Amino acid sequence: MHNEPLLSVNNLTVDLLTSKSAVRPVDGVSYSVRQGECLAIVGESGSGKTVMNFAPLGLMPTGVTTNLSGSVRFEGQELIGLSEPEIRRFRGKSIGFIFQDPMSALNPVRRIGRQIAEMAELHLNMSPRAAEARALDLVKLVGISDPSARLRQFPHELSGGLRQRTVIAIALAGEPKLLIADEPTTALDVTVQAQILRLLKDLQQRLNMAMVLITHDMGVVAGAADNIVVMYAARAAERGPVDKVLVNPRHPYTQGLINAIPRREDPIGSEFRGLPGVPPTLGAPINGCAFAPRCELAVAACTRSRPPMAPAVDSKVSVACPVVNQGKAAA
Amino acid sequence: MIHFISKRLKHSLVLLLLASLVCFTLVVSAPGNVAVLIAELRGAVATPGYVEQVAEEIGLNKPLLMRYVDWLGDAVRGDFGISYRTGQDVSADLANRMSVTGTLIAGGAAIATLISLALGFLGAFWPYKLPDRVSRGLALLGASTPTFFVGALVIYGFSVTFQLLPSFGFDGPQSWILPWLTVSVLPAAVLSRVVRVGLEEAMASPFVLTAKSKGLSRTAILFRDALPNITPIFINALGTQVGLMTATAIIVEPLFAWQGLGDYFLAGVRFRDFMVVQACLLIFLTFFILVNLIVDLAVLLTDPRIRRQWS
Repeated sequence: MHNEPLLSVNNLTVDLLTSKSAVRPVDGVSYSVRQGECLAIVGESGSGKTVMNFAPLGLMPTGVTTNLSGSVRFEGQELIGLSEPEIRRFRGKSIGFIFQDPMSALNPVRRIGRQIAEMAELHLNMSPRAAEARALDLVKLVGISDPSARLRQFPHELSGGLRQRTVIAIALAGEPKLLIADEPTTALDVTVQAQILRLLKDLQQRLNMAMVLITHDMGVVAGAADNIVVMYAARAAERGPVDKVLVNPRHPYTQGLINAIPRREDPIGSEFRGLPGVPPTLGAPINGCAFAPRCELAVAACTRSRPPMAPAVDSKVSVACPVVNQGKAAA
Repeated sequence: MIHFISKRLKHSLVLLLLASLVCFTLVVSAPGNVAVLIAELRGAVATPGYVEQVAEEIGLNKPLLMRYVDWLGDAVRGDFGISYRTGQDVSADLANRMSVTGTLIAGGAAIATLISLALGFLGAFWPYKLPDRVSRGLALLGASTPTFFVGALVIYGFSVTFQLLPSFGFDGPQSWILPWLTVSVLPAAVLSRVVRVGLEEAMASPFVLTAKSKGLSRTAILFRDALPNITPIFINALGTQVGLMTATAIIVEPLFAWQGLGDYFLAGVRFRDFMVVQACLLIFLTFFILVNLIVDLAVLLTDPRIRRQWS
């Protein structure tokens, strides 16, 4: 039992049903996160990385029906199939969340202090006074200057960076074991991005939390994550330790992604090296590899059946590409 | 804050002055000659000579602007003149009648607030489910039923059929319930939609996702996160409705034989009793402007984002 990962996701599929349409933003994805580990989930917009983390915890907008299959186990307990009140007990207490846009993530008409303190009241059974004291500690912990004055302020009185620090303080208030950060630096200024990322990484290590970092910024991945899952069109394309995947990407999509990062030696004004083609639209079922139409290595077999995730030469890395895996077999 | 209040007070004063001038002009230029009526009321034969004498006596022959300035000057000092019809001091009548209308509006506003919050929350708690549909249906019904008909209905139901409450008079809380209910129906219907729609909008905000991620229940989120966000909107809408209740009072007070301002105003209009009509209008105007001022202050207190612009 000790060896079981904190979070283990197996063959997770999410179907979203609205009154008009049905889409599958997550299609048979597996990964796991151990205590104290940071896992990055990267992929372009619409690749399902946010839904994959939010849907099993009941954090979807109202009016959307989610249909989950597969398995999501947190500390050995299966989350899929739990009722909303049962899942709610995990939110905030065991699992903290950080959102993309700190400008809209805080309630505009409530004081910062209350928004943090109510977490301590809810999850640590603290009295309002004790919770206020805890809020003060948390605000200090996330590096907000002039902490006691800040607690009495409203969100609009704070800068983007301070607001994101507040969101982090809220996420930490219930003493979670896992932190899910959905593009925590995307909406911030570049200089602030680095500070927030360093803060998150530092807190994760000091508090020995696990962290799932959802991002599309390879720089963030390189700086913070231990392992990485690369998502493409609702499926996992490649999975493995960051140093292996970033240095030696195997899946053609991962290669394309890393190749697209602008380099220092690029002449000023040169065009971006994007991937040719566009990602498939969600909704239409894909039989073969989702990336095949844009792939340089694609062979006829790629469009016939969905390529399974298989260990590459280095067995720590798994790749869902028949060509790459075939080459390994031949080698 | 002080700066805001003084600025708003200045605006209100200018507004009051302009509005009173418009009202005065309209009332005075209405057709009909009050001098004839007064002459007849005094029992004399209304010969042209006597009518002219009456007109001179009550100052109808002076230029319009002079009459306005005279009237306003007295009104500011609390003297609203003498009723053409009864010969009594208008100011003395007003004092009694204001408390009657005040009771009507205060009670009606309180009931409307309670009903609309209850209906709105019911709808927001079970959106698009049965309670929401019932609340929406009631709102539609309440907003589209004329007030005089509501009054007749409650009298028929509570007084005639079940004989629970008195159908007229102004003596004690028991006699207040039916008029309160009658004036509150329309505002309650309108405000319940404000609450329902406001809550739904607030519940779709990104900060509600944060609240969910904290592990709060839907009920807790509705009250802790959504309600404070719709408070300024609600106060605004409530202010408008309270202002409009002065108009409803004109219908409801005669219905329940309440001697309030609405009733006074109506009697004044019937007899072309300018002094009474103008006094009532000025009070209605002042009330409307005052309500607006209070609303702005209340919004200032409930929305920190607006407060910041003025502090």
